[in-house]
Amino acid sequence: MNESPLVRIVDDDASFLTAVARLLRASGFAVKTFASAEELLARPEPDVPGCVLVDLQLPGLSGLDVQDALAKVGHPLPVIFLTGHGDIPTTVQAMRHGAEDFLTKLAPKEALLNAVTRALDRDARARAGRARLDALRTRVSALTPRQLEVLQHVVKGKPNKIIACDLGIHERTVKLHRTAITTKLGVSSVAELTMLWMEVSTLL
Amino acid sequence: MSWVTVIWSMVASACLTLAAVSALTWWRQRNDWAQALFFTAALGTAILAFVELRSMHTQTPAEYGLVLRWAHVPFFVLFVSLVGFVRLYFRAGRTWLGWTACGLRALSLVLDFAFSPNLQYRQITELRHVRFLGELVSVPVGVTNPWVLIAQVSLLVFIVFALDAAVTVWRRGDRPSSVALLSTIVFFVITSMGQSVLTFWGLWSFPITPSPYFLGILAAMAYEMNAEAHRAMEQANRLRKKEEWLDLAADSADVGLWLWDFKSNLLWATEKARALYGFQPEGQIPFETFLSSVHPDDRDWVVRASLKCSQEGADFRNDYRIVMPDGRTRWFRVLAKAFLTPTGVPERMTGVSLDITERKRTELELQQQRSELAHVARVSTMGELAASVTHELGQPLGAILRNAEAAELFLQSPTPDLEEVRAILADIRTDDQRAGEVIDRMRSMLKRHQLARSLLDVNQLVADVITLARPEADARKALVSLEPEPSCPPVRGDRVQLQQVLLNLLLNAMDAMTASDPDGRRVTVRVQAAGAQVEVAVIDHGHGIPVDKLARVFEPFFTTKSNGLGMGLAISSRIVEAHGGRLRASNNDAGGATFAFTLPAAEGGNST
Repeated sequence: MNESPLVRIVDDDASFLTAVARLLRASGFAVKTFASAEELLARPEPDVPGCVLVDLQLPGLSGLDVQDALAKVGHPLPVIFLTGHGDIPTTVQAMRHGAEDFLTKLAPKEALLNAVTRALDRDARARAGRARLDALRTRVSALTPRQLEVLQHVVKGKPNKIIACDLGIHERTVKLHRTAITTKLGVSSVAELTMLWMEVSTLL
Repeated sequence: MSWVTVIWSMVASACLTLAAVSALTWWRQRNDWAQALFFTAALGTAILAFVELRSMHTQTPAEYGLVLRWAHVPFFVLFVSLVGFVRLYFRAGRTWLGWTACGLRALSLVLDFAFSPNLQYRQITELRHVRFLGELVSVPVGVTNPWVLIAQVSLLVFIVFALDAAVTVWRRGDRPSSVALLSTIVFFVITSMGQSVLTFWGLWSFPITPSPYFLGILAAMAYEMNAEAHRAMEQANRLRKKEEWLDLAADSADVGLWLWDFKSNLLWATEKARALYGFQPEGQIPFETFLSSVHPDDRDWVVRASLKCSQEGADFRNDYRIVMPDGRTRWFRVLAKAFLTPTGVPERMTGVSLDITERKRTELELQQQRSELAHVARVSTMGELAASVTHELGQPLGAILRNAEAAELFLQSPTPDLEEVRAILADIRTDDQRAGEVIDRMRSMLKRHQLARSLLDVNQLVADVITLARPEADARKALVSLEPEPSCPPVRGDRVQLQQVLLNLLLNAMDAMTASDPDGRRVTVRVQAAGAQVEVAVIDHGHGIPVDKLARVFEPFFTTKSNGLGMGLAISSRIVEAHGGRLRASNNDAGGATFAFTLPAAEGGNST
């Protein structure tokens, strides 16, 4: 998880591929080149952070196909599209698919480097968020079904008595469940618990 | 003066006149051997007449014998001349009979001088004086020499020879007058022979007088020859009239007639032809004068083509330009034929020249308009390629930019990797060339160009167009493949226009496959040579052409595409037709359509 980010470049034009790789390497990025989308998708290495720089008009699988395929793997990499010319329909389509950036091949160097840097940042942030959510998910999955039930009532701000009445159990039992929940999830207050739950509920 | 002297002198002078006339005629036309033989025959008869006159006035038997002996000489000349005349003038009579007659006659001449006093008599005993035309003339009496039979047989052979000739002439269906002349000859010879036979064998006492008979023959011959000359004159008149008509026709059709004599290397030309070519109305025209008036661009091939025709006796059919003395250029269509002598030596070339400047100008204007239209269509076709070409150009240009930026970064380092920078510069150069090639391909298709026909390799032409359309095919996910013809003859044509046709067909093929499954988007371009034709077929796997529209696809403004103008195929078809070929459309059995065009294989010769 701590590997340095890798910029994947996909272009069927060997000369352009070499040139971009040279520029990015000279600018301090780690780079890996692919002659086709298929080649990249054969070994996506989702654990290695970074981004993808892909020619929109590839023979075979296109740049948009690469984006879709990576998204399906579950560890989407930010995708920057490169094109010989940017016509409006393809730009719109690419952006709708969540393209990080859309650049013409003749875009200024700064635009390219900024786009790569931005994409790497976004990937790093996404990865950090995903890591935190993963940890939370692990903690939440440790709760018993009854504890999960109690938790749902707690985050709604209900007092123990009402919860006990709703679930048809003793108030003492509710208290025991609450202690187990705070211990398993490692929180100290109801406020903290509520915030955590809000995050978790997006995962469920 | 006595009648005998008068008549025989007149016979002799008449013969001499005929001889003189025929000699003059023969002098003017020396290959007319019949005329020469007529001359010798007439001369022989004249001398014979003198000799006869002399014989009739001899006083002693010895003198008579001598005169009679010498009479054989002119008679021999006359005899041989007649045989030769019959043979040459009528082209009839068996040669061996003619030779036999002449041989026998020659033998009798020899015998005549071998015997004394001559061939007719062993001995002349006395001279009898008989009354002839109111005068007493000498007639010999003596012992007949049996060898005289040789002379008489020679006359018989001649008669057979002449009769045989008459039969041949009659069978051949010649003029009746020829048969009449031969019959006249036979009649007079028989008469003359009868008279002399009777006299020599002592059966009839009469002077020997063959010359009037032969004068009769000569007169008949002269009459026939005059009639012949008259007929020739009439023919010449008719020919002259025809020539006048021809001149009139040629003039009214603005056509110039000419003849080029290879031996003298001079040109003979009608007034009209001289005017058309801007030559002087009078005077000789050396071939060089003509050549210097030919447009410098055409001169070379005109000389080569003319020489080729003259050596082979072939036809010359070409258009060339003539620069007039005032500097204007005029177009001529020339049809000519070269003639060889029977031995195969180039003799002359006769030809007709037609001024087609106006027609040519209209043609050129039309061609110009078509070329403009083709250009518009080409630009519009290239417009369809614009997106893919931009992409194609973006690759090398982008690579150049990134490489340059990378090189800048490398050079900013305190220890620049010069090896890497060198590699970058090499790559930049390659990409620059690549971009240049793309631009060149585009430019050749986009620019307005002068129609230029050259020898083209069809396989190469197709390969070039596929390269041009490759990015577009890639963008449309279509696979274009080429099936070249390994032994393809060259064709003569305009490269750009033929590329345009092919590009049009390729783009149409791809358009037809937009709805097809990407795996099935295949276009095959097949080049095939068949006989004197090269066929290029563009075979797609698209939706094909609806059967009811198949016949209309080449009509202008007919289109099945929502964004098409409907001019592409109409113009393509016209371009192919202008190249002497044909563009056709058909549906494939296995789906899709085939558009194929033919082009005639180029010949080695020149073109205009």
